[in-house]
Amino acid sequence: MNHWLLNYSVDWGMRNGHTPICSVWIILFAPLVAAALIALVTPKWKGVSAALSIGAIALSFALSMGLFLVFAVKHIAHQPHTIQWLVVGDAVRIEFGMITDPLAMLMLLVVTGVGLAIHVYSLGYMKGDPGFSRFFACLSLFTFSMLGIVLSNNFIQIFIFWELVGASSYLLIGFWFEKPSAAEAGKKAFLTTRIGDVGMMLGILLLWSRAGTFNFAELQAKLPSLGLSPGILALIGVLIFTGAVGKSAQVPLHVWLPDAMEGPTPVSALIHAATMVAAGVYMLCRVSWLILPSATALHLIAWIGGITAIMAATIAIAQNDIKRILAYSTLSQLGYMVMTVGLGGPTQAMFHLTTHAFFKALLFLGAGSVIVALHHEQDIWKMGGLWKKMPITFWTFLIGTLALAGVPPLSGFYSKDEILLLAFEKSTPLFIMAITTAFLTAYYMGREVFVVFFGQPRDRHSYDHAHESPLVMTLPLIFLALLSIVAGWHGRVPDFLGALPETGHHSVLLTGGLIAVPLFGFLVAATIYWKPEPSDAPVKAALGQLWTWVENKYYFDELYAWIVKYVQGTIATICDLFDRWILQRLGIGGLSVGTGLLGRTVRLLQTGSISGYAFLVGLGVTVIIYCVVVR
Amino acid sequence: MTGFIGNAWIWNLYAVQLECLLAIWGILILLSDAFAPTSNRRTIGYMTAGFVAAALLYSFFLVPLQGSLFNGMYRLDTFALYFKRLFLLALTMVLVMAAEFSPRIESGVAEFYALLMFCAVGMLLIASVNDFILLFVALELVTITFYVLASYLRRQIPSLEAGTKYLILGALSSGFTVYGIAYIFGTTGTTNFDTLSRHLSALGAQPPLAFTFGMLLVLTGLGFKIASVPFQIWAPDVYQGAPTPVTAFLAVGSKAAGFALLLRVLFTGLMPVQYIWGPLLLVLAGATLLYGNLGAIPQHNIKRLLGYSSIGHAGYMLMGIAAGNALGVSAVLFYLGQYAFTNLCAFLAIIAVTAVTGSDEIASFSGLGKRSPILGLALFLSMMSLAGVPPLSGFFGKFQLFAAVIRRAQTDGHYYVLAVIGAVAVVISLYFYLGVGRAIYMQEAEDPSPIPVSKPMRLALYVCMVAMIGLGIYQLPLVNASIMAAKVFGLH
Repeated sequence: MNHWLLNYSVDWGMRNGHTPICSVWIILFAPLVAAALIALVTPKWKGVSAALSIGAIALSFALSMGLFLVFAVKHIAHQPHTIQWLVVGDAVRIEFGMITDPLAMLMLLVVTGVGLAIHVYSLGYMKGDPGFSRFFACLSLFTFSMLGIVLSNNFIQIFIFWELVGASSYLLIGFWFEKPSAAEAGKKAFLTTRIGDVGMMLGILLLWSRAGTFNFAELQAKLPSLGLSPGILALIGVLIFTGAVGKSAQVPLHVWLPDAMEGPTPVSALIHAATMVAAGVYMLCRVSWLILPSATALHLIAWIGGITAIMAATIAIAQNDIKRILAYSTLSQLGYMVMTVGLGGPTQAMFHLTTHAFFKALLFLGAGSVIVALHHEQDIWKMGGLWKKMPITFWTFLIGTLALAGVPPLSGFYSKDEILLLAFEKSTPLFIMAITTAFLTAYYMGREVFVVFFGQPRDRHSYDHAHESPLVMTLPLIFLALLSIVAGWHGRVPDFLGALPETGHHSVLLTGGLIAVPLFGFLVAATIYWKPEPSDAPVKAALGQLWTWVENKYYFDELYAWIVKYVQGTIATICDLFDRWILQRLGIGGLSVGTGLLGRTVRLLQTGSISGYAFLVGLGVTVIIYCVVVR
Repeated sequence: MTGFIGNAWIWNLYAVQLECLLAIWGILILLSDAFAPTSNRRTIGYMTAGFVAAALLYSFFLVPLQGSLFNGMYRLDTFALYFKRLFLLALTMVLVMAAEFSPRIESGVAEFYALLMFCAVGMLLIASVNDFILLFVALELVTITFYVLASYLRRQIPSLEAGTKYLILGALSSGFTVYGIAYIFGTTGTTNFDTLSRHLSALGAQPPLAFTFGMLLVLTGLGFKIASVPFQIWAPDVYQGAPTPVTAFLAVGSKAAGFALLLRVLFTGLMPVQYIWGPLLLVLAGATLLYGNLGAIPQHNIKRLLGYSSIGHAGYMLMGIAAGNALGVSAVLFYLGQYAFTNLCAFLAIIAVTAVTGSDEIASFSGLGKRSPILGLALFLSMMSLAGVPPLSGFFGKFQLFAAVIRRAQTDGHYYVLAVIGAVAVVISLYFYLGVGRAIYMQEAEDPSPIPVSKPMRLALYVCMVAMIGLGIYQLPLVNASIMAAKVFGLH
């Protein structure tokens, strides 16, 4: 970096005292303004809509970069900047404030950087779609909401933006709502995450009832002096964690994420891989001071994360949809991050979050490039041999794969290394789960690469028509590939967040093992799938019944569908029974519109249909009086 | 009565001017029917709506008065004014709906408007009630007009049946109320809330059994008005069968009136015996939340769905009353304010759609987003606000109620259970509200022709939508108003 340029920009930034703060507000609101303009003014002009949306996130990115440089060079302490938002008596005080500590700055760069690449990529991917403008409006709305989460300095604000990303994610998953599956997936995502959110709200209110504030800094300062019992502390931690379970798709609320792949691929990359699903991890890191004192909460978090990691990785080995494999991989990596928070390493978790955002976005965009080339074919068994046809997509996809698997010297190696070392120190069972996951990761990604890009083309017709994607799509791929390579070097990211604790010296054997595991995974995948005509048959034979289980995702969807159906059925039955038996025995059957016959209705009225209702009212009065008076 | 005893009648007149204005206008409408041609049905409705809107604006120039009027029967404090404005707002919107709806009324459109006005007079009185006698009179004025309004479509069986059911059950609950009032008077010798409160405080010990009995009977009547379990049974039937403007007025006006009475009675007259009614309302709130939200799941008629939803929302607001602290009361007031906008928005959209489709089934709202983007958006936003999705106003309403309950839970652990039940209800409610949203945006319409929206309707919809979004982002005005209103009870 050119030093005079840096100093110049920093001086410019400082000249009028509060510029850094102003820029934070612009970073947040630029995408919202773009979304509003697109929705209200320019829905007809597609080019203008896209330009507005991309311009807004580019502006946010540039200002975030400026903020980062000011901080990195001058070490200017961030000033809390808040405006009073809502005061209810002396009880509730909510402010709207911005936080710009290193944690927030790192996340700002990730969201706006990856977001910018994906916005540009969407230009190519969504070309010719009738909802082009709507897409960019939703994308900008999402960016605004996500930046809101990153910058929030209190629980209520973060919760509102938290729900807003949920809503914009709902709009984008269901973007192609003509497809019933897409509409259904949007609803499922919204509902499932809401379960976690409601728990989170209760946790927030519980904490507030003890501390009297929602502000992170105030809570952090007050917490030690509150004298909360371990039970309450654990309860608060776990309730707030349920929000992350929903948003970051941890077991048992993970079912929505794979279905969310019904949305357009850039959406999968931005929202359901790089940023929104990582918001849960970010939030846990943001409130790590709340979770770290409670051993119980930490344990639960670590185990939920560990189980999610290995379970999702096993499911991924049997999927056939190019995007679903990546979706389960995302679940698995999010599990890693959550586990890391639970093991007491928020810094390591943020490190992995950052590198994962780069290479997972890259992988999704690469998959999108393949999907477009094959006219929206997503089944990996109808691909094959594409590496010659799409060289840029192939090479960048390969870089993403290696980074995800954790092959040195790519970024994923460094961040995953830190996680595995931490697990090795803290908990043997979790370490074993984590290392198995690392092996499986390399294996299923190897399978995907070999099946998609090597071997004989299995669908000759679409193979012949396939070609490399245009520049607007390949440039973001190259940009993200570069980031996936360098993001882990020299431990810059963790240093920025505050150096990692010295992990001590580990034996050469352990380090060697950590390098060998992914290579071994690739090797196994290569022996099975690096053939002209690859197939799952040998694995199927070897795993037997287990294959059926993983292929069906351990039947979670079926279980939940059954529960929902059962519960809804039961309620309907109870209502029906109530109508038919109790009320009819008393002489009525609800509102008798269904019969539509004057005579019958009047007869029902005359034969005392209402006396049944009246009887129930009387019964209610009697019960209440009995309970209160006689008791 | 302090400060202006000398010319009290002037102040009395000052206090009831809104009621008088509405009553006079109502009589004028009746007279106009004799002279104006029937083709002016809509115009009269819109004019009346304009008049009420003007009265609403005028109400902001009224100042609250210290003490009580009409020999302690009537109050014009901030609480009363808050509710009066709320009722006038609801009436304005309902009149717009009624004007839209008027072509479907066979005869007596002018009477329909006039009845709405008289009903609103009763509600305005309810806002100021400070005595059991006035309570009963005002309550009956509202309820009896609703009997007629609910069965106004005389040729349609559902409407007739709704009116009959409301009549008989309403009469029953009125009977309980007046019986209870007699017991209270018999045991304490007063019907005035202030005197009653002093009497109960002076009592020190447990009140006599007969008093508790009477109190519970009075609460029964009020529980009927707000559709709380176990007196909720009428709500879905009547909501579904009544003419839609009447349903809207029931959902917004009548419900708010019930809560106004409940708050006034519980936090002034019956405040000293909070230990008796507090636990009762805790249980009823939980039961009402579950009944309303579970019952809504299998519904496929939107008015019936909103009937169950209104039971559920009564449960949320009972949470605030059960919490019994200042935060809880102001939260209920805020909730009622935003709930009025949200619900009116939903009913406005429903009336516009059913005027074309003639069906209340949720399926008939399919593809509304395409047939009329503004109606689709309005209905969708109101569903999301009812579900409490931020940043819409419904979220902040629920947030304050939950905060009040959690705050109370610090001293009484039972309230944690209520908070958890409320949380479960919130999740369930999103499920069925999203069902409506899905019909609007994700299903194809059988008949994709556009739905016309008249200018006054459009204006009313914009007002409601701006309020829903605006109160979600900048809540301060309504929050401050509700805090000012809640202050009259002097709670902590």
